Amino acid sequence: MTLLGLTPAAAWVLLAGVAGLVLLLYLIKPSPRRVAVSSSLIWQRVLKQRQRKPERWRWWVSLLLALAIGLAIALALTRPELAAVAGSADDVLIVVDTSPSMGARGADGRTRLEHAVIEVERIAAAAGGGSRFMLADTTHQIGAPVFAPREAVGARARALLPAAAERAWFPDLAALPGLRAQRQVWFVTDGVSPVQAPAGARTVSVFRNAENVGITAFDVRAAPGDPRRHDAFVQIGNASAGNKTVQLRVAGVGGEPVDRSLRLDAGASANVVVDISGLGEGPVRASVASEGDGLALDDVAFGFLPAKSRVRVALVTPGNPTLARALRMLPRVDLQLLPPGRLAGISGFDAVVLDRVTLEKPPGLPSLLIAPRASAWLGRAGGELADTNVAAWDASHPLLARAGLRDVLIERVQPLRPTEQGGVRLSAIARGPQDEPLMLATREGPRIAVVAFALEASNFAQQPSFPAFLANTVNWLTRETGAVPHRLGQVSVPAKARVLDLDGAEVATREVPGGAVFEARRPGLYTAMTSTERLRIAANLLDPRITAVNASTLAATPPTAPPARAGIAARVDPWIVLLAAAVLLLALEWWTYNRRVTL
Amino acid sequence: MFTDAFLRKLDVLALAARNRAHGQLRGTHRSRRVGTGMVFADYRPYAEGDDIRHIDWGIYLRMDRLILRLFEEEADQPVYLFVDSSLSMDFGQPNKLDYARRLAGALAYVALLNHDRVNVSSFAESLGDMLPTRRGRNQAPQVFRFLEGIEARGRTSLSAAMRRYFAAPRTRGLVVLISDFLDPAGLEEAIAVLRRFRHDVALMQVISPEEIDPQLPEEAVLVDAEEGSATEVEITPGLLEAYRSTFERHAQDIESYCRKYGWGYARALTSVAIEDIVLKMLREEGLLR
Repeated sequence: MTLLGLTPAAAWVLLAGVAGLVLLLYLIKPSPRRVAVSSSLIWQRVLKQRQRKPERWRWWVSLLLALAIGLAIALALTRPELAAVAGSADDVLIVVDTSPSMGARGADGRTRLEHAVIEVERIAAAAGGGSRFMLADTTHQIGAPVFAPREAVGARARALLPAAAERAWFPDLAALPGLRAQRQVWFVTDGVSPVQAPAGARTVSVFRNAENVGITAFDVRAAPGDPRRHDAFVQIGNASAGNKTVQLRVAGVGGEPVDRSLRLDAGASANVVVDISGLGEGPVRASVASEGDGLALDDVAFGFLPAKSRVRVALVTPGNPTLARALRMLPRVDLQLLPPGRLAGISGFDAVVLDRVTLEKPPGLPSLLIAPRASAWLGRAGGELADTNVAAWDASHPLLARAGLRDVLIERVQPLRPTEQGGVRLSAIARGPQDEPLMLATREGPRIAVVAFALEASNFAQQPSFPAFLANTVNWLTRETGAVPHRLGQVSVPAKARVLDLDGAEVATREVPGGAVFEARRPGLYTAMTSTERLRIAANLLDPRITAVNASTLAATPPTAPPARAGIAARVDPWIVLLAAAVLLLALEWWTYNRRVTL
Repeated sequence: MFTDAFLRKLDVLALAARNRAHGQLRGTHRSRRVGTGMVFADYRPYAEGDDIRHIDWGIYLRMDRLILRLFEEEADQPVYLFVDSSLSMDFGQPNKLDYARRLAGALAYVALLNHDRVNVSSFAESLGDMLPTRRGRNQAPQVFRFLEGIEARGRTSLSAAMRRYFAAPRTRGLVVLISDFLDPAGLEEAIAVLRRFRHDVALMQVISPEEIDPQLPEEAVLVDAEEGSATEVEITPGLLEAYRSTFERHAQDIESYCRKYGWGYARALTSVAIEDIVLKMLREEGLLR
């Protein structure tokens, strides 16, 4: 027998306490009331004739009945389990795949997640009496899984939503609180998500074929060579079993939406470039529509069309033709080269790029500092490093949006130290293998970005990401940033940022160390605002693996059915039997008491 | 003690004697003596000295013999009223002793109306207060005052009271015992005394509803009003049923004694109005006419 409600020690204490209490109540029973009668003559005759029941025997019967009732109730509270009676009492962990593909609606009109809820209820119904149930999901909507009664599992499962997450994974069984070794682990999935169940887990497939056409990539870009022109790049995939006619619409602010119609073969994808120069600065929404589409989450994508005005940028350098050429290639930039000697009193520029220049104090203009010399406000961290690379970077920072640094190699560099000198708070946005800061940028206040290494001491200028980095930097320094692309799920924003969606409704945020996060559950353009800056985040699904809703590893596998239970009797939990026994004993006690069998 | 209306109803009643009256004074009851009554009794030959007004002249003319007509003489009847004043009578609602007082008062009033000699006594462990013989309607207030003065005390000993009362010579008459008859010694000895003197006897058993159907807690200590003894009892439906049947048997035993010796018996439940007892039950029982 196992006890689910209490530890064995606590259960013994409870049972002993109840028994003691019952016994005490019997021992301190009040004495009978004195009643005057005219004469005890008749009573004496009655008592003489009538054999009186042995009081002690009746007392014991009463006591035993009361003890049985009390102990039955107390034992029920401990929720005991008898495998022989009600099936084995297991810990049943049910993990529901809540990846976006679970929102795909099949031919029966139900989503895979709705089928998953049915399966969850089946599993719960089939489990042995007294089993404990824990529900978890792969996108961590249930933050801290806890045990729930059988009846509550279905309701909890119904609260789950298909959701994208930065990373989806199967919960760590060892980290789940109180999960015993005697357990069943079920994974209810459509098999599309790459999440793998651990060994021993039983997978229940809810895969059903679904029709789906979705946007798998979306970007808003300036046309090369003409900063006044912008294109929207849309990639559309058809994951349906048959050909589809797809209606594409790209809409924005201040102009007519652009509509395209295209036909996609089964499994095919198409790249569409749409000229959106007719639209004004603001959100851009791309949407696709096709007949019988089963997944809405990938049918829309959002971007942001930035302002198209030109900016004046000064490059202060002892000589760096590569950098000058790269800056000149940026569509909106009017570049002016200045020698380091003219740095003092520089003004009239939207942004300044300082290449290998010594600054005794923070610059007064938005600036990009490349390989600055050490000064009082900008310190070095350790000695010079040789032959290193960028090991980690913050892709959520506007400077590094779409600018991968994986292949950047650095011959020599003097790592910088994050600082808060002079009212400038620089924090690392790219680090080396030893966690040494290689790039810094402010997140609040004056906009200053620092690259610790010189361009000629690295291959950064030769990387494809360099123009994107420069464009991001200029946009950021001139406060003309586009939207930071982000996947659906948890999005990091600066601390105390207020996040609004496209309709102006505030989105709940959660403070975490170093900032805050919010959940982007549906595609949208979100705006995170602090007292000093405004950050636009285009949260989209844009995942071909999810759009391919029929690419399931379980497609060929017949659905696994949870085992049926032995019989109706096995559905009765022992604690219910105990409570029923207590009720019956109470009725018996009432009956015997009223017939003066018991005291 | 009674309302005028009730007393007016009593005016038409009389105590019915089962035996011939043995009273010495003229009354309303038939007696064994022959004399100047109204009821023809017998014939006998005329003897010298007989009252010639009773000679049947018709017989003399037919048979030429002097035959005398005899008439039953009507006498009064001694009525001995005994009221149980033991502590067991001081019980119930209405109070049994109070009820017994009123019952005795009603019977005494009827007897006085009919010129019977009324003796009223209370008894408990022994003979209690005694009211000297009263006769005539005008004595009723004294009888009522005496009855109102009876107080409850002591245990019940019917035999002791009877022995003591009838130790003195008493004219044979009607003995009315008003009691609950909860006498541990039983009735036999008292009955033997009454039988020895061949009195006409009527027993009136005063019963409280609480005695017939006691309302008791499930566990109780019963305290005897007379003895003061305590008996712990667990009241079960079976025990209550046994009590009820034993009590009923006790009453039936008393009634059986009465029937056996041709005595009158009446069960006076205190929940029944005294008027109903006197005007209906006692008439039906033949104690009143």
